[in-house]
Order: sequence, then C-alpha cells, then structure tokens
Amino acid sequence: MAEATIPTFMRGKDKIMSLSDAVKTFVKPGTCICPGGFSYTKKPFALAREVIRQNIGDLFATMNGGASIVDFWAGAGLVKLLDTTYIGLEGIQPVAFNIRRSIQDGTIDVEDYSNYGYGLRTVAGRYGWPFAPLMAEFGTSLMEHDTFAKMGLRGKKADGSWIHPSIAPARAAVIEDPFDGWGLRPHAFEGGDATSNKTNALEQIRESTAYTGNKGVKVILVPPILPEVTIILAQRVGERGTTRIEGILGPDAEQAIAAKNVIVQCEKVVSEEELRAQPYSNTISMMFIDAIVEQPFGGFPGQVSYYYDYDWDFWRNWAQLNRKPKEEVKEFMFNWVMEDEWSFLSTRPGDGYPTITGTKGLQRLFELRADALYGYKPGLARPL
Amino acid sequence: MSVIRQSDPKAWTHVDDTEYEAYCKEKGVDPEKYTTMELLTIAAARQTYDYSFIFAGTGLPMIGCMMAQHTYAPHGMIIMEAGILDPKLIEVPISVSEARGGYMAGGLSNMADTFGTYAQRGFCTFGMLGGAECDKYGNLNSTAMGGYYSKNARDDGKPGPAVRFAGSGGANNIASYADMGLAMMVQEKRRFPEVNEYITSVTGSRGPIGTPEDRWHMGLFRGSGTTIVSDLCIFRSNPQTGELEMAEIFPGVDEQLVRDNVSWKLKTAKDFKPFAVPLHEEIKIARMVCDPNRIYLGRKTKRDLAAEK
Repeated sequence: MAEATIPTFMRGKDKIMSLSDAVKTFVKPGTCICPGGFSYTKKPFALAREVIRQNIGDLFATMNGGASIVDFWAGAGLVKLLDTTYIGLEGIQPVAFNIRRSIQDGTIDVEDYSNYGYGLRTVAGRYGWPFAPLMAEFGTSLMEHDTFAKMGLRGKKADGSWIHPSIAPARAAVIEDPFDGWGLRPHAFEGGDATSNKTNALEQIRESTAYTGNKGVKVILVPPILPEVTIILAQRVGERGTTRIEGILGPDAEQAIAAKNVIVQCEKVVSEEELRAQPYSNTISMMFIDAIVEQPFGGFPGQVSYYYDYDWDFWRNWAQLNRKPKEEVKEFMFNWVMEDEWSFLSTRPGDGYPTITGTKGLQRLFELRADALYGYKPGLARPL
Repeated sequence: MSVIRQSDPKAWTHVDDTEYEAYCKEKGVDPEKYTTMELLTIAAARQTYDYSFIFAGTGLPMIGCMMAQHTYAPHGMIIMEAGILDPKLIEVPISVSEARGGYMAGGLSNMADTFGTYAQRGFCTFGMLGGAECDKYGNLNSTAMGGYYSKNARDDGKPGPAVRFAGSGGANNIASYADMGLAMMVQEKRRFPEVNEYITSVTGSRGPIGTPEDRWHMGLFRGSGTTIVSDLCIFRSNPQTGELEMAEIFPGVDEQLVRDNVSWKLKTAKDFKPFAVPLHEEIKIARMVCDPNRIYLGRKTKRDLAAEK
C-alpha cells in the first residue's frame, strides 16, 4: 500500500495564510480567476488589492455579480480576457469606465452571458454537470455572438487537448426538449397552477423551428464555469475552512465550489465549533477552501452585511477618477494599494477624496460599522 | 384578468406635511412641481398592481419598485437577482445586491436560485428594467453600439465597439420570464431606433406577432407584451401586432415631440389617454420615503439641462 497522505482539502490550520502568500500561491499571470461578491457587497477587495500589489497580469477574469473588482484590475492594466454578464457599477456608474474603455480600445476581449445563463453555468460547475438547461436568451444577440470562438479559443488542438483549458468548446448549444415542455410552469394542473405567472406559450413554442430547424420546444444548454481560483469574502471562517456567509449570497457559493481552488478572505477566523454548533447556517464546506486570510475591514470600500457599510464618498469619487487618462488611473491604482493591507486600511479610507464627515483611516472604518438590526448603516448620507 | 390596485392615497405610506415643507426648503425643491425623474418613478409605479411580483433590475427600477411598494402595490413582492425575495424597502438601494435591498426580506438566497426558484419557476409578473436603446417591438439593447466585438474577435480592424454598455446582467432573464415587461428609459431619437443593432433583452413581442420573428417562435415560453415608460410618454405593445404604440402622454408634452423622438412611424394606441397629473401624495412619497438623498431623483436628462439653459 502506498504511503498514506492527508488530502490537501482536509488540511487544518495551515490553510490560514497571509494575504500575500495566499495570492502568491494561487494567482499567476494568466490565471482564470473568479472574484466573488456583488457590486458593492461582500467583494473580496483585500485580495483584489493584493493582486494589484503583486502586479499579476494577463488575468482571465470570470464572474457574475458586478464589476467593481475588475474595474480596479482593468485600471491597473491586469485583465486580458473577461467572461461575464455585467460590467456596470449599478447606481454609481452605469458602465464601469476602466472596463468600458479597455473593451473599446482593444485591451480586453469580452464574452457576454445573461445572469441566469451564467448562474446556471456556476450551478453546473458546482454539481459537476456537463451543462445546464436555460430557457432565456432566446431571440437575442447574446446567442448570435461568440467572442472566444472568433478568437479561436474554443475547441481542441491537434493533439486532442483543449485550446484554452478554461474555455468550453462552445458558448451554448440548443436542443429540443425531450419532454416536450411538460415541465414548464404554469403547468397544466387540474384547476390551474399555483404560480403567479399567467402566461405560458407552450403551443406557440412547440411550433418554433428556431436554432435547430426542427419543430419543437427549444432548450439552451450552457457549459459549466471551471475557474482555476475563486476569491470570496465571508464574515466568519472556521480554522479549517468551514465558511459562513451572512446576508445576501449573490453568486459566491456556486462560484467557489465550481473552482479548483478557493481563497476566502474573512472578517474573523473563529473556531470550527463556533460555526458547527449551527451547521445549517454554514455556506461552504471546509473541503472547498484552500486558503483562509483573516482581514478585518478588508471589504472596504464595499459593504459587508451586518459588519460595515460601503464608503459612499469613495464610490462617488471613483466614478470621476476612473475617467481620467489611462496612465493616470494606472499610476493611481498602484499607488493607492500601498505596500500592505494594514497600511492601506489605516491610511486610505477618507484619503484623497471629498468626504461628508471628514473622517480618515481606521476612524472612518469604525464610523461605517453597520447596525446589526438592518445589516447596513441606516441614514448613511448618500448625496448624489 | 382583474387586478387590485391600491389607489387610495390614505392607504399609502404616510408623509407628514410639515416635515415635507421643511424637506423641500432644505433641498431647494418646489413642493408642488415634479421633476422628470420623479415623473418617471411615479409613472412606473402606476403600471404595477397590488399582489403582483416585481422583478426589479438595477438603476431606475430600484426606485420604481420601491415607489410601487409604498403606493399602488403595498403587498406586491419585489425580487432582486442577488437572492432577495420580498424586502420591505425603507432606503433606496444602489445595487440589486446591497443590504438596503434585503431589509426585512422574506428570504435571501443566491443568484442562480433567484432566477430559478422565482422567475423560471413562475413568479414574475412585472419585469422592471432600464435600457440604453429600445426598438419598435420593445427589444432593449444594454450591451453595445457600433459593432459588438472586441478587438481580437473583429474583422474590420477597429479596436472594439464604438460604445460599450454594461451588458445583460439579469435584464435578459427578467424580460424572458416576466408576464409583462416594464422598462424605464429616457427618450431620445437615437435611443429609440426602428431595429436595435444588438438585442440584449426581449421585453415585448420581439418581432411582428404571429411571424417566426416573435418571442414565442424564438423559444421564449412566457410574456405578453411590454410597457415602456419614457420621460415623455408611455408606450405599450399592441396586443395584435406587437408594435409599440403611444398609450399615454405626460402632462404638457406635445405629441409631435414624442413622434420626433422615435425612429419609426409611431402609431397611437386605440385606448390612448393623457396621463393623469402626478398627485401631491405621490410626489411626497417619491421624495421623502423613496429617495430623500435624491440619488436617482436628482438626476437630469439632456432635455432637462437644455430646458434650464
């Protein structure tokens, strides 16, 4: 019998790493990296800043749930490929300017999906499925355009290996539903379905000849996402990796579980027992977590539900700052992140942008702390 | 289908008049006169009804759905794609994923689950969206103009699309699964082309109803038409043809101005009527309950800015 070894995912406290070691170990130039969180909420900004500090470029970023991290990376010139759904900053800026500019000037190539299309890819990735069924995106230009195919990145090489190991051989495929639309709600229950939806065009979609040329109900199949590394933020993580996310989950669990490796940045590392006393509240099992980085307030300038709110003044300024000339933004990014995270957190909050209360550094971080009854800071001044 | 609409202002969220006067003074806004963004918000809320499900996209729908919840649809259930079901909004969210949007929610889940369990499964009455471009059949473009492809996927030597927008996000799915589309947009001629260069979301019939170009023949199993609320008027899909028609016009807006700001020969709906002037109660709620910081309401359209000059 071969010598017994402990599987990597069962490792204990050695999963706890410094921010710089975690990024150095799992993120390399060209890595297919999936940042978690959603727009301003639970984005792993400390990990994102460390990627900038280590100047790791040519990244293949893939994610659902907003582009704030990728806008930072694009500003620092670190992104080459993007497989995503949405590149806006929602209420702050309709289109994240660094990404927009980089797509328009040819430095980033982008593949587009809808959120549910991509969400199903994360589900397929999570469950190890070869694909997942999608009933949206029909009749749109999303289905007609495939950037990665046009770039020659899909399919196999002559030796049978994948041209790009992180890119599926097709963007999507369309099949006919072998169950003839039987499962589509509202279903034909006796007396009608209990769903609120009233429209179901089953008769018409059975006549559809779109995509396949044959009559019948169509189903789009989308491939899984298989990121090399996913980075997420959780409020609490057990010392062997049991992860608890409080509040809105966004895409985090699926994107993490689908990945080869996961780095989780947390507000606090706690004993496994603290989390295992209520196992039903845990989000991700320890076996999917490869590195744990404890970084209180590391979600700044974003919001971490029940812990702290976003820095509204920062983002309001960011929507101006990211429109500056490319070289200026790049210089700002490398300068902004400073030499390490604690220097950053004690210096940068409230620094270099107009603020309402005038607080800076750690004082500002404490000021942004959330009210536990709300999950955010009620009455936070948010002038346009 | 009969619907319940809470039209009695006494049943809406209450705003104290003295506080309102003080608020208007502080913000320098006229207590009686509504702005373009306030009108858009009020008009969108009026399209909804009580006990409906409103799946709200990001941007203007954030305030649109909040306004609906505090007026015409107090029991309406809001869905937001980051996993939020049925929140009770007391501060306007700036993202479909922020904690303000999850306040007192009936449940918090994940993104795939939101679209799966709520939308695909059968709980999306209104799909409330914003968009950059809207065409004659209610297709929205929120992806790109001037060629979609980025540099290494293009054949024309250009470095990328002329203008890149945010992309679908959840918009495509919300439009695909809703019984009814409901979009809020600023109206300019270039934003209302006859045919969109790129279709991100099919909110209406997609093409002429009954042809292989309509949404159902393309494979979408839900949807019945759309309402587009612009800053000039309200468009609705003709139930027979699918074409967007002018259904209501806002107070003081000239019909010709509406026609001049779409790129196709715009028809007038059979049941066309003028839009009822926003009520004092509606303006109060939009301002003081929904967006006292004026994050959305303080925005100005190009037409507003031109009028100021």
